[in-house]
Amino acid sequence: MLTEGVMAFLDQAAKEARAELPDRNSSLFLSGVLDSFTLIDFVTLLESECNIKIDDADLRPENFDTIAKVEGFIRRTRGAE
Amino acid sequence: MSCFITGYGSALPQRVVTNAELAPMLGVTPDWIEANSGIRERRWVEADQAASDLAVAAVRDALSDAGTRAEEVDYLIACTLSPDYQVPGIAPIVQRKLEGCRYVPAIDLRAGCAAILYGLQLARGLIESRAASTVVCFGAEAQSKGLDLHSRSADLSMLFGDGAGAVVLSSEEKLTDKAREYLVRVDDILIETDGSFAEDLIVRAPGTANGARWLDAEQLAAGWHHGSMQGRTVILQAVRKLADAALRIAERNGISLDEIDVVIPHQANANLLRSMAKQLSISEERVVTNVDRFGNTSCASAFLALWQAHLERRFRVGSYAQFLAFGAGFTWGASLCTVRESTNRRAL
Repeated sequence: MLTEGVMAFLDQAAKEARAELPDRNSSLFLSGVLDSFTLIDFVTLLESECNIKIDDADLRPENFDTIAKVEGFIRRTRGAE
Repeated sequence: MSCFITGYGSALPQRVVTNAELAPMLGVTPDWIEANSGIRERRWVEADQAASDLAVAAVRDALSDAGTRAEEVDYLIACTLSPDYQVPGIAPIVQRKLEGCRYVPAIDLRAGCAAILYGLQLARGLIESRAASTVVCFGAEAQSKGLDLHSRSADLSMLFGDGAGAVVLSSEEKLTDKAREYLVRVDDILIETDGSFAEDLIVRAPGTANGARWLDAEQLAAGWHHGSMQGRTVILQAVRKLADAALRIAERNGISLDEIDVVIPHQANANLLRSMAKQLSISEERVVTNVDRFGNTSCASAFLALWQAHLERRFRVGSYAQFLAFGAGFTWGASLCTVRESTNRRAL
């Protein structure tokens, strides 16, 4: 589960994009919630909220495409740490 | 022996291409282009203009600004992604067109939009090792000739403009009598590369990784001779890596970012520059931008921003300036410069 802070960010991004927050397996990009620039803020937030350090090699948009993928990515990153 | 920037030059094509003119070709609206890039217009060359034509004009401009004669140039360093020919590079052509230039070394750097940093690092090395006293480094692009003017490439083709910028770099011994308010000394350069993203920003053809022929009808039909970009990856990586490079070069020189007066970045996209400033917690006023007027001029863009900073008197004696660039490869980095009082202020 993503933290309240991360979900609040996505809710706000959806509101600003005038989009619906998609279900956990649908694309945050295609729904318009995240774009290239909100993604940067999202990644920065994930690092601080989830207390992880994201390696540049893992900074690929596909890791952040859906809520489910973000959750999986955080789990893998924590496991690797 | 230190390396100083003593002259700044530019050359821009006359033809202005507004978003209103470009948008219908790309199947988008002018507002969409501006919202996604911050670009309002860009310059495009005419059919009979090549990158070297812009380059030589910018070099002449920089030499004039420096008060340096072409005969005094010891080395030419070109940065371009849109050369006149596949081979040779444009540096030899600029050597030919630059009246008075001797048979000096003249090379092209293929380091994407970060080439300015490679050029400055090479120039600094040549000057500090006394292998050269006066080096001209320039970026020139005629990228409009290679754009895919189709909706499938709107996100990339909306960005690019043509232009050229140049700087003259000299050792103390070669500083001319020309009166100037300040000299920008190139103190440090940090450059890095991560080839795992090589295909994320690419022009595939002509290329020897493409099969039996480096360019054939099939590749042309697939548009491999046009640029392609994984936009989200490029932006995500660029902002992170530029911010990291900016911080680390400041740190290793024992200064804080607050002490840097002016930041001169590659003009990729206004939104990217804004994100970078936000990541670094620096005010946007400190960042030199011209992407709204000239678009992304690739290898030329940071040179043009440097020329603009000089023109707008953004350099303040006693302060620091920082150049930042990111490009295909990925290659990226930062430089740190100090702005020093000129020893010759007689005519001011």
